[in-house]
Parts: sequence; structure tokens; C-alpha cells
Amino acid sequence: MLKQKLEALGHPTPCDVALSNRKEFASTVLWLEDQKIRFYTIDDREKLRNLDNMLVWEEGYKQYCIDLNMPPYETQLEQLTWMVGHAIRLEFLDDPAQYESINSQATGQIKNNGSLSQQKTQTLFNGKINVNDKEFIDGVRLLATKLKVPYHPNHLLQLEAVARIVHERVGPTASQKTAVTGTPFPFDKGNDVVSANDPALDYPMRILRLLQIQSLRQLQTKINETIVAVQNLTANPKTDTKLGKVGR
Amino acid sequence: MVVRPYVEELKYLEKINDNCWRIKKGFQPNMNVDGVFYVNSRLERLMLEELKNSCRPGAVGGFLPGVKQIANVAALPGIVGRSIGLPDIHSGYGFAIGNMAAFDMDDPLSVVSPGGVGFDINCGVRLLRTNLFEKDVQPLKEQLAQSLFDHIPVGVGSKGIIPMNARDLEEALEMGMDWSLREGYVWAEDKEHCEEYGRMLNADPAKVSMRAKKRGLPQLGTLGAGNHYAEIQVVDEIYDKWSASKMGIEEKGQVVVMIHSGSRGFGHQVATDALVEMEKAMKRDKIETNDRQLACARINSTEGQDYLKAMAAAANFAWVNRSSMTFLTRQAFAKMFNTTPDDLDMHVIYDVSHNIAKVENHIVDGKERKLLVHRKGSTRAFPPHHPLIPVDYQLTGQPVLVGGTMGTCSYVLTGTERGMQETFGSTCHGAGRALSRAKSRRNLDYKEVLEKLDQMGIAIRVASPKLVMEEAPEAYKDVTDVVDTCHAAGISKKCIKMRPIAVIKG
Repeated sequence: MLKQKLEALGHPTPCDVALSNRKEFASTVLWLEDQKIRFYTIDDREKLRNLDNMLVWEEGYKQYCIDLNMPPYETQLEQLTWMVGHAIRLEFLDDPAQYESINSQATGQIKNNGSLSQQKTQTLFNGKINVNDKEFIDGVRLLATKLKVPYHPNHLLQLEAVARIVHERVGPTASQKTAVTGTPFPFDKGNDVVSANDPALDYPMRILRLLQIQSLRQLQTKINETIVAVQNLTANPKTDTKLGKVGR
Repeated sequence: MVVRPYVEELKYLEKINDNCWRIKKGFQPNMNVDGVFYVNSRLERLMLEELKNSCRPGAVGGFLPGVKQIANVAALPGIVGRSIGLPDIHSGYGFAIGNMAAFDMDDPLSVVSPGGVGFDINCGVRLLRTNLFEKDVQPLKEQLAQSLFDHIPVGVGSKGIIPMNARDLEEALEMGMDWSLREGYVWAEDKEHCEEYGRMLNADPAKVSMRAKKRGLPQLGTLGAGNHYAEIQVVDEIYDKWSASKMGIEEKGQVVVMIHSGSRGFGHQVATDALVEMEKAMKRDKIETNDRQLACARINSTEGQDYLKAMAAAANFAWVNRSSMTFLTRQAFAKMFNTTPDDLDMHVIYDVSHNIAKVENHIVDGKERKLLVHRKGSTRAFPPHHPLIPVDYQLTGQPVLVGGTMGTCSYVLTGTERGMQETFGSTCHGAGRALSRAKSRRNLDYKEVLEKLDQMGIAIRVASPKLVMEEAPEAYKDVTDVVDTCHAAGISKKCIKMRPIAVIKG
């Protein structure tokens, strides 16, 4: 995937980016900044150019990560993946119209995302908060780190995840919730088989299905509550034993 | 009908594996698809004997043998896949009971046949659980049986104790279980655990004759006669612990109540009316069938549509009927144990229909198609994660309630993916007759039958004891054979076995 992304960005030797080699990694980072990201002015890139003196480079790279607002990733691969993704995003945003014709489905999704976030801008506290404010974004990122929500490039999606966790685990309603009683149904004991010989597919599928079942259960419970509320108005069950007759 | 010697007939039958036989095209004229039937070695003998008897020179009258009926269904226009016989199959009107067949909705020539649904439209089984155990109920079982018998009128010509007028009936026909909910006879959770949520939306009471309504009105909330019953059962064996726990069955000895009933005289009249109409439609549209009993009409014809709408109304009638009996059962238990049905945890585990035609989507030859699925004496058995089964059973597969014969045992199975692929998500429905009603009356004595039940420690209340031998275990196939065949063939999976301790019957 990384290879394909580098290829898309026009990297001269996408196949040869050896992640085991720190120097190779450094040169790829430099190439990305020089050609694509261009976050620094040319003069500011001085430290990153020090490929021969890795100590200086590391110092410069550390600062660069902070300046780019890169999430605290641990491995080289994660960092590079994020940077390449970031570069692609910038490249795309330079001229979105250019890509419109390439894949209608993909651009359709992007349009949807656009209108989605616009809607959110309007609804968030009656528009008093600008969701694209740097301060706001930083706040969301900080909250997410504290609640251990995984990183997502769209901070609004991350905010949704944060909201869900707060609602379910931390909010006042959550603390009042009675603990679930009864024997838990073991994760792997259902009669459903996803892919017995591929745990990498089986495991996430089961999780997704359980989440789906959970939200269906909530919906069904709401439906039942509604029926009961209506029953309180309409129900009047009657029997009249005089009507009964046992057959021959 | 083609008459051939038995050995010739056998050439058209091929044993695919230990549990499954194929009926090749040509066995009966004009077969559009193959037939298939599921049997184990014991059921296989019954099946072939029946065919052999019909091949004897001079054998006339009665129904055609089951195998022939499966093949005749395979010759109906628009049938897709295979005409399928389940292990409990026995001869019936047109379609054998235990025969399922699916017809392509997008083929203008496809037909709907009342014979493929049966006369007791939406006959089905409902299972209620309780939090009582055998030791709580055993000392009281005689009183409980009597109390149930007092609450639920049984027998031919019985009348229900839920007051209803003609307008109530019209509403009930249209709303199905929603009517019972509105009137407060059942709980919101009952609807959730009922096939189709207890209501067929295409029901149209205007398509039902006055005669049917007149017959049906006083019969709501009655069990009926024949093989219908209400049984207090005890969990005897749990094969699939986790699926059972999803159904609220935790341990052996837990007490459940099974209600087996249908749409009474109402459904019978709807079917009879439709058969008359369809004979005319067949003549007009030049539809040819191998058997006169297979009266049918094109799905999109007026007759076809009218039947489907009236059938849906009859299905709704049956759900209201079973719901009313659920209410009465809860009352009986609550009075006996001096508590509320809530405290007895008397939830509906599930409610299945085993005489019905439904529009369903299935994958045929790798493509999704809209089909009209006829299940006559066959229960829907959808696999885990199917969108049409309740959320509580998404992990286990749809519960399939299989009622045994009086005095034997009953089973709960679950639907499987394999069943979805092989049998359009269908499985067996009960024991299935081995002797005809007349034959059982001749061969068995009702006093002996009752005595035997007594010896087994089963309390029984019956409206017409002299008909009890029609329903004696000896008149039926062994339900365990039937269920084991379905399990071995993989078209459904065994979950729970129950045995009766008290029975009320018509």
C-alpha cells in the first residue's frame, strides 16, 4: 500500500524504500518535504538535509514531527505512512477538480464527507464553535489521546468516537446504568462461521457483527418501549368464560 | 399418472448420500426441476414402501405416494431449484405435507397453489418458557392441565372466551398480532420473537368470504382438534448450550409450554374458496398440472393475488389465535402459582409457521432472486445473521420448533447456512404421519392409548377421547428419526429436546 502511495506521488524509486535503513527513511522524509509537503521554507529545511550527519537530522526530524502535528506514532512505518497520507491529501487539495473525472465513486464519497462536516459546523453549539479552529482541533486530539481513541485524520470523526465513549462510559447516565447480569455469551460460540481458517478475517468480522447486533438490540428495545407506552392507552384485555364452549 | 412397475420406478431415484435422495426428471411427466427428499434408513423404508404399494396392480384411491407428489410439484410452472421433501413427509392434498417449493416471482408464468400451503393456513408452533422446574410443576400437573383445559376451549366446534364482534375480527385479520398487542393480550417482546413479527402486511380482509369470517369469529382463542395441542413440557436434553441460553433455557428440568394450533375453520374456508376460483383460472390460462389437486393460479393473476391476500389474513388470524392462547396460558399459570406471568418469566421463545407461502429473497445459481416460497408441513429455518430473524437469535440462527406426537418428545432446532443453500432455509415440522387417520382408528384402541400416556406419567385432558387414537404415537413416524435426519443432513441443528408432562387436546 505504501509503495502504491509513493508511486502515486511520483517517488523515483518507490520499490527501494527500505524501512529497515534509517538513512533511507530520512531521505524519503526529505523527499516528501522537498517535493510534496513543503511545510517549511527552503531555509528551514536545513537540518533535515543533514543526511550525512544523522544526529543533526534526528534533531530536525523531531521538531518537524511536532510542527506537522503528527500523532505520537512509535514505528518508522507508521510515521512514514502518516506522512505519505498527509502528502497525498495536500496534493489532492491543491486541485481537487483535476481528479474528479478519474473515479466518480471516490469523488462522490469525498463530496459526501464535505457536506457532512459542513453540516456539523452548523450544528455544533449553534455555530458558535468553528470546528476548523486550530484550538478546537487540538482539544479534540488531546481528548482523544486521553480516552485512548485511535487517531483519524478527520478530527470530527474522532470527536464522534470520543462522544460515544463519553456517553457510554463516563457520562452521568453511564454511571447510573445497572450492570449487565446473566451469563455472557462467549465471543466464539455462536453458530455463525465467518472464515474458520482465516482468523485475521474472522476476528474483526465477529466484532463488527456484535456491534451491529448491539445497535439493533437498542433499536428493538426502543420499539418495544414505544409499544408498551401505546399499550398503556389502548390495552383492555377481556375474557368472558360464558362464551366458552368445549367441542365434542 | 405414469404407471410403471416398482423396479422401473426405482431407476428414477438416486441415493445421493446417507440422508438424501434425488428424484430424476422423467419420474413424472413435465418435470421442470429435479426432486429431492431427506430420509435416514428407517424413514427411507417407509417412503419406498409407500411407493411400492402404489405400484401394485389395482391400487386405487387415497392420496398419491409422497415421492410422486414431490415430482408432480416439480412439474409446476415457474418452480426453481428443486422440489424438496423433508424427512417427515407424508401424502397430502396436492402437495405432500413436508414438501417445500419455491417459485420465481419474476417469471410471469409462476404459480401459487393453495395445496402448497395446506388447509390449516399458518398452522404453527409457539413455545413459552417459564422459570419453573419440574419439581415445582410435577405435584400440580393434574390441576394445571385442568386449568389450561378450562381456559383454552378445545375440540371440534369449540368456542373461545375472548369476546369479539365482527369489527374486531376485521381489524384482527388486518393487524395480526398487532391487534393482540393493541388490546393488551400479549407483550411487546412476543411480537419480536414471532416469525414475520406476527403480521403479514399484505393481508386484505375484503378478499375473504363472509362464510370464512362467520366460521372464524367464534373460534378465536380455541385450540381446535386434530393434531393440535397445548403441552406442558420439561427440558430433557440440551445439545447446544449457548444457543439454548440465548433462548432463556439454562438447565434440564426447566418447564416450557408448547402451543400447536392454526387458523381453525377460517383458514380452511379461505383455502376451499380459493381452490374453486383457481380451477376456473387454470382453465382460462391453460395451466396444466399432473394432478387435479394441484390447483393453482399465476402469482400475478387476480386469483393468485386474491388468494395471497386472503391467505395473509388467515395467517394473521392464526397469530391472533396463538396470541390469545398465550394470554390464557399465562393467566392459567399465574392463577395456579399465585403470581404474575412476569414473575414466571413466561416469554415467547419463538413462534413458527409451518403451513404458509412467503415472498423471500434467496440466492439461486449465484444470483439473488425474489421467490414465492411454499412451505407445507415445513418450517422456515434461517441461518445466523439473516436479517429476517430476531436480533436475539442473530448469533444462533432462527429457532425451529418441532412438535412431536402426543406423549413423545419435541425439539428445538436452529437454522443453518447449509439449509439456506440446500432447502431455501427450510426444515422439518414434526413427526409426520405413518398411518392415515382412518387406519389408526381401525388399528388402535383409544383406551389403550390413554392408559399408556397415564403410565408414562403424562396428565391428559381431551375433548373427544374417541378420536385420540388418530394422534397416537403409533400413527406417526418417530420424531427423533426426523430430527436426527435434519441434523445429520445439516439443514438444521439440534438444540433442545423436551418431553411432555401434561397435554390438552381436541
